[in-house]
Amino acid sequence: MSGGNSKGKARSKRHEGWEEAGGEFYQELYPGAEQDLFEHLQRADAAKLATLLPSKQARNTTTVKRARSQNDRRQSTYARTTQSRDIHLSMMPDLSENLSNEERTWEEIMLIKAMPVPMNQKRELKEKLQNATKLRLQGLEHIHWQQRKVWHRFRIRFGEILGKLEMWQSPLREIEGTFGTGVVSFFLFLRWLLFLNLVISLFVIIFLILPKTVLVETSYDCEDYESNSTVCCSYSYLSRNLTESNLALDVIQGTGWMERTILFYGVYSDQIYTYFIKSFWETQFYYNMPLAYILVPITWALLSLIAIVKAAAKGFKEKLVESEGQFYLYCNLVFGGWDFCIQNEKSAKIKHRALFNEIKGCLEEERFKEEKQLRTRESQILLHMRRLLINSIVFIILVASGVMIYISYNYSLVRLSAQTGVDNADPGDLNKGYVNRTSERLAFSHFKMHRNTQGLGSRDSSFFEQLENTLLEFLPYICIVMLNLIVPEVFNYLIGFENYAPARVIIVTLLRTVLLRLSSLAVLLSQIYVFIASNKRTCSWGDEEANGIECWETYLGQQLYKLILTDFALQFVITFVINLPRAFVARHSSSRCLKIIGEQDFYLPKHVLDIIYIQTIIWMGSFFCPFLPIIGTLYYFLIFYIKKFTCLINCTPSPVVYKASKSKSLFMSVLLLGFVVSIAPVAYSVAELLPSIKCGPFRGYSTVWNYVIETFDRFPYILRESVFLLGTSVFAVPAFAVLLLFLYYYWAVAAANRHMVAVLKNQLVLEGHDKQFLLNRLSAFIRQHQKRCERRNRASFADDDSSIRQSSR
Amino acid sequence: MGQGKSQFTEEELQDYEDLTYFTKKEVLFAHQKFKALAPEKVGHNKNAKLPMAKILQYPELRVNPFRDRICKVFSSSNDGDCTFEDFLDMMSVFSEMAPKAVKAEHAFRIFDFDGDDMIGVSDLREVIERLCGPDLKLSDSEIQQLVQNVLEEADLDDDGALSFAEFEHIIDKSSDFCNSFRIRL
Repeated sequence: MSGGNSKGKARSKRHEGWEEAGGEFYQELYPGAEQDLFEHLQRADAAKLATLLPSKQARNTTTVKRARSQNDRRQSTYARTTQSRDIHLSMMPDLSENLSNEERTWEEIMLIKAMPVPMNQKRELKEKLQNATKLRLQGLEHIHWQQRKVWHRFRIRFGEILGKLEMWQSPLREIEGTFGTGVVSFFLFLRWLLFLNLVISLFVIIFLILPKTVLVETSYDCEDYESNSTVCCSYSYLSRNLTESNLALDVIQGTGWMERTILFYGVYSDQIYTYFIKSFWETQFYYNMPLAYILVPITWALLSLIAIVKAAAKGFKEKLVESEGQFYLYCNLVFGGWDFCIQNEKSAKIKHRALFNEIKGCLEEERFKEEKQLRTRESQILLHMRRLLINSIVFIILVASGVMIYISYNYSLVRLSAQTGVDNADPGDLNKGYVNRTSERLAFSHFKMHRNTQGLGSRDSSFFEQLENTLLEFLPYICIVMLNLIVPEVFNYLIGFENYAPARVIIVTLLRTVLLRLSSLAVLLSQIYVFIASNKRTCSWGDEEANGIECWETYLGQQLYKLILTDFALQFVITFVINLPRAFVARHSSSRCLKIIGEQDFYLPKHVLDIIYIQTIIWMGSFFCPFLPIIGTLYYFLIFYIKKFTCLINCTPSPVVYKASKSKSLFMSVLLLGFVVSIAPVAYSVAELLPSIKCGPFRGYSTVWNYVIETFDRFPYILRESVFLLGTSVFAVPAFAVLLLFLYYYWAVAAANRHMVAVLKNQLVLEGHDKQFLLNRLSAFIRQHQKRCERRNRASFADDDSSIRQSSR
Repeated sequence: MGQGKSQFTEEELQDYEDLTYFTKKEVLFAHQKFKALAPEKVGHNKNAKLPMAKILQYPELRVNPFRDRICKVFSSSNDGDCTFEDFLDMMSVFSEMAPKAVKAEHAFRIFDFDGDDMIGVSDLREVIERLCGPDLKLSDSEIQQLVQNVLEEADLDDDGALSFAEFEHIIDKSSDFCNSFRIRL
């Protein structure tokens, strides 16, 4: 500073000149602010000077300009830095730029709404714009403009209609009002799944169910064929007379008459429907049922995948933009923390508390991190030991639950067969045991039918037996669902000992619970698979009892159908029979103990898992039970109300802050995991397993995929060759190389951009410092200048005095 | 909606539709809500000026920690009293259709308590205190720490306060902001 001072003294003359010129310069630039400027200049306060900088001064008014060029960000920043000479012009429409035409005027009117000015000013602006002389558009341009206007209006109307059609608007608003945006994002996710299932259902209905019900199969007579041909086999399966059994039980088990409805894989035809319609130009119409049956699942699988990836990608993009390593954690917390949609006093209080906790948690986490670095070796080892121990406990629990499902599945099989009273199972040979058990089971069902037909006398006892059977049939599913209910609570309790950071806790619990749910499904599936595989699916006309499960695809479909019904029943029971009284108790008792039992908060990850689990089952079962997506749609529709009830009536808002954006990408990732896990077994069964001979569209083929290949072989030569070419290395290697190149290119661009961002950020900081420095300098300089002026004044006074004195002399 | 219709001419509605993010029906709906705050006053004069206390009875505003700031920012007379048009402006900015930039603009003004066109340390403190509510108090050092962290993250030019450009930058990167800075009509 001192150097500057001395220099300043040395070149005072020139500085003075600059000062004056500067004054003019300012005057020119800030016609409105000159008064202010000089006032501040007089006071020479750096902070005050800062408020006079063009970037600050022009903010209010440049936004007007900015609004106009909203689509163009570069332009907007330009507008921000333009000097305020434009201010007064920019407040008004740009009349200087010749005459604007009608289209531009209209565009500008549309942009007024973005301006941060009161309504009356907006209206004035609009009027001015409308009254300003403008060029009339002619010819093509006019038509183009009219089109745009109509399109705009149409979009508004369409949006309005769409808004009306939007499902569950008022319940969502209500939930949002009490629980905030995080929980609403869960319900939006539920709605998204509902629509996904609706679309899948539409596919299934149009391409599978309608043709099946409308078109007529040609029936072949078994007599004309060999006794082990597919025709005879399916005849033996489909035409076996059903004896009447309990209707309700059949409905919930999917057995009996239900088995042979369009609900399950078994009844779909293996024929190509051929129609010869005379009135339609005498052409023949085909509907290839087996092809449709394989194409529809492929379609919905792709559709689901695309939908998930699209939604997830959006989430990831947001996450990437947001992240830069949790860069804006605190800003998000402070500026995006409050949900402006909260309208309920109690929830507001809870929200305050939640935010308070979150802030504390964040600060603590930071301290936690520091602490972690300071942690002594012993305590670190101890912590790791503890985590290891708990992880192994979790592992044991997972294995135990798998074993439990295994046992319950086998137990139910054994008991079901034991009831027939015919016990010829060989305990030594497991495989043989399976065969025997199933045969017993079948025998038993016949026995049951027999009993049923015996007359009303034995009706009562048979009813109880049936009930017991039903229970046994459902035992594995009840077991799975109960495990899903109890084990997560145990996990929740265990994680308390592990000392994870709060954000990590949710992810770890979620991961463990997902593992539990999917592994239990996997155990069940593998059991069913073993069961199916151990049955020889031979077919011979006449001996019905001798062979195992007649149509294993239908059997699998039935299992998943039962699982989804059990799940729904449990959701229902838990919400209305268990949690409702709990909430009631919590609300109406003052005792602390009862309150602890009764109070429930809406723990989001659990509910998310609930609905993702359902979706997993639907994906898994839709190939075997085409009706499942339709059931799923219905299920989601009902579960929305159940969850809403849970949310609004049973629960109090959770003391944890759920961020909408974070939870959405989390949902999608978990859903993607569920998708992979559920599609894998289906793909395996399509590609590898022998389809049942007796039923379904693929009877007689070695695998389902074989059918696809055979159909493909019938395609024209060129098409086949071109598809084959895609698979050869001639195509694959260059394609791979090109992809790699692209990847590298984008990676390089991203790296360069990242570097640029870092450089610019540094530069910005430097600029900021420079600005501060210059402002300080300027104020110091002005102060100095003022002092000099005073001195000069004094000197001139003195001169005056002396001259006066002289003259007086 | 029948009564609402009689209070507005078609041109007024067209104006409102052009100048806000609402459709005509939504404007009428908004007016109903506005009317519900003070039925008699608004019944006489559809654009009556309601005092801030009345506006704050709107459910979402009643519990909002920044309620008085919101009213002041949108009030055309700058004292917190709002006419229907001010109210409509407010709802339009908070609506789902309003773009991020518009929301950011108003959020900045709401958070700028002292009106110096910068969100400084004192503004940040005020925001944080209001977020935690009247009953819960963070200790002084905690607030200090938090303010420090926020500035570290967002104050790009290192001048101890957030300018609008810096604020807009944060908002651009925050996906939660658009979700939370919203009031459904």
